[in-house]
Amino acid sequence: MTTQPTWLHAAVLGAFCTGFGAILALTDVLTADAIAARALEDKQNSLAQVIPPGLHDNNPVTDAITLTGEHGKPLTVYRATKGGKVTGVAYEILGSGYAGEIRLMLGVDAEGRVLGVRATQHKETPGLGDKIDPAKGDWITRFSGLSLDLPPKDKWKVKKDGGQFDQFSGATITPRGVVGAVREGLAFFASHRPQMVEVR
Amino acid sequence: MTTAFTDKSGPFTHAPTSVQSTMTTVLAALVPATLFDAWLFGWPAIFLFVVTIGSCLLIEAACLSMARKPLQPALTDGSVVLTGWLLAMSLPPWAPWWVAVIAALFAVALAKHVFGGLGQNVFNPAMVGRVAVLVSFPVQMTAFVAPHPLFSAGAPGFLDSLRITFGSGTLDSMTAATALGHIKTELSRGIPVGTSIQQVPDLLDMALGVHGGSLGETSALLILAGGAYLLWKRIISWHIPVAMIGTLFVLGTLFHAVSPDRFTGGLFHVTSGATFLGAFFIATDYVTSPVSKQGQLVYGIGCGLLTWIIRTFAGYPEGVAFAVLLMNALTPIIDQHVRPRVFGRTRKGDPLPIKGGK
Amino acid sequence: MATDYRTIVRDGLWDNNGVLAQLLGMCPTMAMTTSATNGFGMGVATAVVMAASNLLVATFRGYITQEVRIPVYILIVAAMVTLVDLTMNAWMHELYKVLGLFIPLIVSNCLPLGRLEVFAAKEPVLPSLMDGLFMGIGFTLALTAIGAVREIIGSGTLFADASLLLGPAFKFLEMKVSPLDSGVLVMILPPGGFLAAGFMVVGKRLLDLRAGKAIATGPAGHCV
Repeated sequence: MTTQPTWLHAAVLGAFCTGFGAILALTDVLTADAIAARALEDKQNSLAQVIPPGLHDNNPVTDAITLTGEHGKPLTVYRATKGGKVTGVAYEILGSGYAGEIRLMLGVDAEGRVLGVRATQHKETPGLGDKIDPAKGDWITRFSGLSLDLPPKDKWKVKKDGGQFDQFSGATITPRGVVGAVREGLAFFASHRPQMVEVR
Repeated sequence: MTTAFTDKSGPFTHAPTSVQSTMTTVLAALVPATLFDAWLFGWPAIFLFVVTIGSCLLIEAACLSMARKPLQPALTDGSVVLTGWLLAMSLPPWAPWWVAVIAALFAVALAKHVFGGLGQNVFNPAMVGRVAVLVSFPVQMTAFVAPHPLFSAGAPGFLDSLRITFGSGTLDSMTAATALGHIKTELSRGIPVGTSIQQVPDLLDMALGVHGGSLGETSALLILAGGAYLLWKRIISWHIPVAMIGTLFVLGTLFHAVSPDRFTGGLFHVTSGATFLGAFFIATDYVTSPVSKQGQLVYGIGCGLLTWIIRTFAGYPEGVAFAVLLMNALTPIIDQHVRPRVFGRTRKGDPLPIKGGK
Repeated sequence: MATDYRTIVRDGLWDNNGVLAQLLGMCPTMAMTTSATNGFGMGVATAVVMAASNLLVATFRGYITQEVRIPVYILIVAAMVTLVDLTMNAWMHELYKVLGLFIPLIVSNCLPLGRLEVFAAKEPVLPSLMDGLFMGIGFTLALTAIGAVREIIGSGTLFADASLLLGPAFKFLEMKVSPLDSGVLVMILPPGGFLAAGFMVVGKRLLDLRAGKAIATGPAGHCV
């Protein structure tokens, strides 16, 4: 086999890169809108779990404001409005679990009552801490209807710490993290209520 | 023994020890602590003990017959009984029977026979069994009971005990966290060690063993006595236990002095958990620890260091089993690097220069 | 060389199975077999990429010079993976939500690259397509089997969430094998992957021995 000149290799590689680059660019253009639409739907679906659809006539995903959350980080607050009045808000809260942080979406109505809590991302032990997942148990649904004063503040803890929330057998740290996060999430609502429910 | 030829060793060597006599001595050293634990935790612990050793023997027999090896020598030399015994001592005393069976399956079939049987295993079988069930059944494996001494008021009777081990006895009301577990959970919700350590048994109780824990975690002093007996009988040398306990003690004391709210003290580390059981009976396993004395020192220090790191920073409250397994994996490398000098050769393996010769 | 499609099919499905004989693609094998459904999904996505990239390489093999073939192969596999990723995200979104995590991982699988180098670079288009397809199907079968073993022992279920992946018609596949809430968790944690895969390889070799076949030791997996 005769040795081929270097420029030939470069040309071959370059041609393939250009060709497949073009194909990928074309695919991206074709799919970009659809993917964006899907991402929006996903967000809506996950918000629908913490804000009942009957509560709003707007689209909470697009009607979002940004507040300064704890530790100075920006926090996106999705707002549900009906007839121009804010009926509920949803925002992300963080709890510390057994294996890293637990991300939760918390929905609160205008009076500060919990509409719903859902874990969006966690790394808890399968079969043990992952019972916070609604697919694996209804533990997470017990927050609905509660507020900062119901139960009283010293009962906003897991039973092991003297509060009223059950832990799961064998796992205390996960429920403790979630209960604490919801409690602080409600406290955040209480302290930022004017900004959250004011109508623009 | 009727003929010399049935002996596995070369017929020209004679040593006062054999696998059988070594194992018998080790088992004898474990007897006092085991009897104490049997008294402390009552019938369920005794049942669990029997189930664990029984299933280890059965699985050993099954593996041997699958490999078409003779059953008798391997079953009677005591090694598999020791595996089962140590495994039973590392389980919570009131664990259900199936936890013991699965642990035995992992220990004997996977950790020992997959690697080729006695003497071939890389990892300590009992600890593989314990870690496998610890990871698999966190609920059952962390349900430690407070002591219910045999025949005392409140201790479960014979039939109730059968139900605890073989039925589905839920014991939520009777559980008591281990000292290490309690301090870890409290620390995770921001309670400093100085406060939570008040709520665990004091050092004397820890040493005597009247507190919750695995069978072998409780009676530290009796385990220590067993370990001393093994040292005296020259079954084990001092290198691994001293290096391991020493490292744990030094690290504990040092960091406790720096920040008493975050770190528990050295004496607490030494008397709590499975430190003594691990240091004298588990880390010293001939098959899975280094051969040379220097190697054993390195290995012991490694065990102590890893135990301290896992207890202090990792998710699990007790780290002896993990530490021993991790150091088991390093044993071949340690042996490679601290190889004793061969007689008549330098450390690199070249022949020594002949003195006076040219 | 006359093409023997029977051999290609046999090689892909059993004799030279990507996972059980060649021990290639261990990264997705370990990471994605926590359930039979996950293993199946990963396998199917890989099979599609393998068939497509084998086809492309066999088509262009006359133009790819020896010195730059590896970069070109990787380029082709990566482009196929991205293509599948984008298309599924846009038009098969329910499936994508289940598989989305796995798809980028296919690039790190050296089974596709291995088949390009060993087969597609030397053989005509149609046999190459068949090879990619059946190697992919063999990979899928192995991953599904390993996933099933781990899932049954580890979680006490079989084909959990299959209806999410395959559509509601496949709801009948979802089974609960064990009456307990959870199983031997270690099997769905990383050690379980090694245990299950190891015993599968042993099982295959035992069956081969019984059948009187010499054990073909494939190339050792040099990459993950």
